[in-house]
Amino acid sequence: MRAETPPLTLPQSAALVSTAFLLVAVALTSLGPLLAGSAWWWLCAVVAAVVFASGLGLRLLRVPASLVPVLELVVLVLVLTLFFGAGTAIAGVLPTGATFAHFGELAAAGQTSIVQQSTPAIAVPGILFVLALATGLVAVVVDIVVVSLRVVALAAVPALLPVAVPGFIVEGGTDFWTVLLTGAAYLLLLRVDVAVRRRGELDREPEGETAPRITQPRRASAGSTVGATLGLAGVGLLTAAVLAQATPSISNPYLFGTGDRGPLFSRGVNPFIDLGEDLRRPEPLPAFHYSGTGRERPYFTLLTLDRFEGDVWSASEEPLVEEQTVDVFPAPPGLDLGVARSLVRTTVVVDEVATTWLPVPYPARSIQGLRGSWFWEADSFAVASADDDTLGQRYVVTHLDLDPTPEQLRTASRALPDELEPYLELPGGVPEIITTTTEEVTASAGSPYDAAVLIQRHLRGSDFSYSTEAPVEEGYEGGGFDVIAEFLEVGEGYCVHFASAMAVMAREAGIPARISLGYTAGSRGVGTLAGEARYDVDTHDLHAWPELYFEGIGWMPFEPTPGRGSVPEYSRVSVLADPGATRAPLPTPGAPATEGAPVLPEEPVDGSTAAPVTDSGAPLARLALVALAVALALALPAVIRRLVRAWRRRRAWDGADAAAAAWAEVEATAVDIGDPPTPFESARGFADRLLARDGVADDADARAALERLLAGVERHRYGPRPAPAPDHPLTHDLDLVVHALERGLQPAERFRALVVPTSLASPRESLAQRRPSTAGA
Amino acid sequence: MTGGVGARLAEWPRPTRRGGALIAVGAIVFVNALVLDRRDFILFGLIGVAVPLVALAYTAWRVPRLDVGRSFVPGIVSAGGTVTASAVVRNRGRRTLDGARWRDTAPRLESPMESVLPPLGRWEGGPPGGSDTVRLEYTLRLPRRGVFTAGPLRVSLTDPFGLARIERGYGRTHDLVATPRTTALGASAGGPASLDGVLLELQRQSHPNADELIAREYRHGDPMRRVNWPATARAGEIMVRQEEQRSDPDARLIVDTALHGRGRTSFASGDDRYHHPFELGIELAASIGVHLLRGGFRLTVSETGPSQLEPGPRRRAGGLFGDTPVEYQGGVGERAFLEGLAHLDTPGGRGGSATDRSGAPHDDVRRASGRERRPAFAVLVDIAPEEAVALAAMRPAFEPAVAFVQEGVRRTLVTDLEEAGWRCIPVRTANDIPEAWHSLAHDQGAADAR
Repeated sequence: MRAETPPLTLPQSAALVSTAFLLVAVALTSLGPLLAGSAWWWLCAVVAAVVFASGLGLRLLRVPASLVPVLELVVLVLVLTLFFGAGTAIAGVLPTGATFAHFGELAAAGQTSIVQQSTPAIAVPGILFVLALATGLVAVVVDIVVVSLRVVALAAVPALLPVAVPGFIVEGGTDFWTVLLTGAAYLLLLRVDVAVRRRGELDREPEGETAPRITQPRRASAGSTVGATLGLAGVGLLTAAVLAQATPSISNPYLFGTGDRGPLFSRGVNPFIDLGEDLRRPEPLPAFHYSGTGRERPYFTLLTLDRFEGDVWSASEEPLVEEQTVDVFPAPPGLDLGVARSLVRTTVVVDEVATTWLPVPYPARSIQGLRGSWFWEADSFAVASADDDTLGQRYVVTHLDLDPTPEQLRTASRALPDELEPYLELPGGVPEIITTTTEEVTASAGSPYDAAVLIQRHLRGSDFSYSTEAPVEEGYEGGGFDVIAEFLEVGEGYCVHFASAMAVMAREAGIPARISLGYTAGSRGVGTLAGEARYDVDTHDLHAWPELYFEGIGWMPFEPTPGRGSVPEYSRVSVLADPGATRAPLPTPGAPATEGAPVLPEEPVDGSTAAPVTDSGAPLARLALVALAVALALALPAVIRRLVRAWRRRRAWDGADAAAAAWAEVEATAVDIGDPPTPFESARGFADRLLARDGVADDADARAALERLLAGVERHRYGPRPAPAPDHPLTHDLDLVVHALERGLQPAERFRALVVPTSLASPRESLAQRRPSTAGA
Repeated sequence: MTGGVGARLAEWPRPTRRGGALIAVGAIVFVNALVLDRRDFILFGLIGVAVPLVALAYTAWRVPRLDVGRSFVPGIVSAGGTVTASAVVRNRGRRTLDGARWRDTAPRLESPMESVLPPLGRWEGGPPGGSDTVRLEYTLRLPRRGVFTAGPLRVSLTDPFGLARIERGYGRTHDLVATPRTTALGASAGGPASLDGVLLELQRQSHPNADELIAREYRHGDPMRRVNWPATARAGEIMVRQEEQRSDPDARLIVDTALHGRGRTSFASGDDRYHHPFELGIELAASIGVHLLRGGFRLTVSETGPSQLEPGPRRRAGGLFGDTPVEYQGGVGERAFLEGLAHLDTPGGRGGSATDRSGAPHDDVRRASGRERRPAFAVLVDIAPEEAVALAAMRPAFEPAVAFVQEGVRRTLVTDLEEAGWRCIPVRTANDIPEAWHSLAHDQGAADAR
């Protein structure tokens, strides 16, 4: 029934393709909530633009339609090589075998990263690669659907893929406005398609004898449907939006069984329970081995639990921050100049642990040699990866070994900064036994530090014993209030119970406390590593310990668990002549810093400002982005000027003030080319000047056209009202004059007129509208 | 199919394929999103459903208001000829009309495919020719004999996104008449005796002697050529012929329009409106009729079926059984004759009207038989035995009596007719027509030579 689609002309293809690109670009923004920053969007937009542009170019070269998608894929590979080739490509764009191997790694890293990161994820190279690849494929499919097959409505399917993604990852799915905007872009694509089809059919020469001949009206109507288009789209989208808001949620997990979301981006594990299971494992597995230059062997923190909600300790779910790369850590919170410290280098080789958390001593200064993208978290300095895990990693941690004196600790200020408030929070319903025990134990304490030491001594006292089995048998696994109360009564438990008990009691006593999960220092191994004695850590060395905050010193670990790890030196000494210190099973206090490690230079603020932004793609990509942005910015005035011209042309076509509009455009063009009409010049005087200009003077057609336009505007200005409508469209004359004016320019002048259309700054519209009565003198 | 409900439904806005697909996909997405509680997809689904629905409302609201003037030139063409159809479409709405397409409804004809209607400006009033008017013109080919209809012009409006369309008919239905093709019989004079010779012979036979005409006295003003010299000699005063010599001799054409014989035997290609032998008969009759009319004959035509050339409530007996023949003469007659043939229905094609055989057979033949005998040509496609009997009975009134017989006529009937004195000439295809006519001339010439 429908006539076969006529072939597209270049402007028609360009209109279709650019609208399709707009749709893809808008649809891509829906990934915004999932990814940090916006560089990824630019990269994807560039990739899509290149694919679409290549399609356009290939069709312009009359490449067979069946070959176009194939060549587009080739172009996609070249672009990906340019951005992600990492030096494996010939001349930057020609991929080699190594390039594809690299692509494979990137894709795998991207997948891992997608699974591991929480939102908003950092766009690490792997993710960028996957995104760019997917965008390129979507662009190819959209291009085929829109331009080759001309089933434009189907473009929704590939283009909406990005929009579908957020719903699987974050609650609520894609942002409401993004969906509306995507819908609007889709409607625009449909509109352009309809317009292109009509244009194509109108322009087609009639073929055959029976083909209809259409005699156009003498003065064709411009037939604008802009109002109808906007109105229809607006009403449609508004209706949909209102209905969507009004649609009740009928979802019921019992009814449909869709309550769960996938574990993508989720770290939904109960660290305590896992830790207990690891500790009860009969045969320990080697976790990692290390060697260090420190005088004391450090604990390795994996993860810090800072939130206590009554029945479970948990880590604040904070997304990774792109700037917080592990090559530089900020100064540890709360650490003052007066505290003795030494800089220690610890070399770690991970054996069989595969987690996204890196075992790192606290407080670290920098980590070198890691594979993948790793980021530190604020406050806890826990280090997590966006796209890799710990398996087989070998890295060097530079960290501080703090050695505060008991005096320093004891005299620490009780006035705490506001941001430590969360570390003092205890939910309501603290069991009686916890408060009473705390009061009893800390009754004699003169300072928070004394209270902490007393709590530690109490828990290490004879009332408590270490057992990994008892909590399971008695049924108080975990770290909640009930469990702690039970533990305080029974007196048997393992590190989790000791640590959470001490942390809760410390908070009860007004000391900011949190729990660190990680490994103890392990045991002496065979041989050396990096020239130092080697120590082995296995799964039995998994540990949990409390860290307490003292103003001026920062977070300091304590060791309330009897029989595990080592009691820090500063907590052994006590006003009460603590006898518990002698029970410390592991190395006696050594001399101060065994080596002359330089004391950390003082930094007033953290060092993260100096950290470079993670490299998102090759420098070429960034260059291309900058160039694109600059080009867009430069083109903007020209685009606006063209729109204004198109608007005036439309009015000159069949508007009531056609002559005035046409003349206004002539004047504006004159302004653009630097020959503006003077305020007191008549239209005729101005026209005489134009007639003498290069480009017009030697073009009889343009001169005649200018005369006609002049006659029209004079009739409009000085003639009777209402002025008779011109009997032919003025646009042809207008085009002739404008082109003649522009033709007379030197190339440089023409460029300036194009890029810096000064008429935009001084609208001549009012001038053109003037009538003798209003024109004044 | 053309019932009131269907026609009214066709006036309603309806979703295009694109719009329908969008609604369907939108509904599916919406239901799934509802079940899965995906708020973003609920919005997507609703956009898919709502926008086409709004587009439907839009098209219903913006139904084009158009004036359509139609003309078809020429109104009557020979089968296989072309008609130039033109339409002047004028926008009566207060808004410009863009996004419209037009097509013409012409059943059984190849009208052009739906195509774009150029944008029309808003109604300007005043004389036509402004931006609110467009003139459409195309060529319609009328492939075969018959009466065809064209119109109304259907204009459809699609919303800017191509999701919904409304189609309305504008203007009324026009009849297009395709007259039967005719074969020129006189032009190709191949044999020793031309067809004109045949006609002259016929004419001579019809009017044996001018002398027999009654003479009267000369009156002032009579032209000299009317002087009847023999009578003048006999009477001794100047006598003139009382009547002008007849220049338009009578000829009878009998057309088998009923096919009463074996019924619809060989309908071609399932199209029950097109019956090859019948059409061949019509073409043959048209060729002979036109030839005779141009040769100056007054043509009287009898149909074997109920009279369709000059229908009337009492004219249902058939030309052989009482209906008076229809007379044609001159150029006007030729045109009316062809038009009449164009309107002939294919017998049995739809319903078929039974022939009323109650009338006395061949009344007019008997009436005519007293006078001079005139030529008769019968075009027989498939006749019934009683028709053959009637023809045989009429034979004495005609001289010569020629029957062009198609294969559908039973052999026995042909034999009967030949025994009755009809010259039977077989005709199989349209290509046989000149040859059949030639053979007639040959034989005539041969007869003359003898």
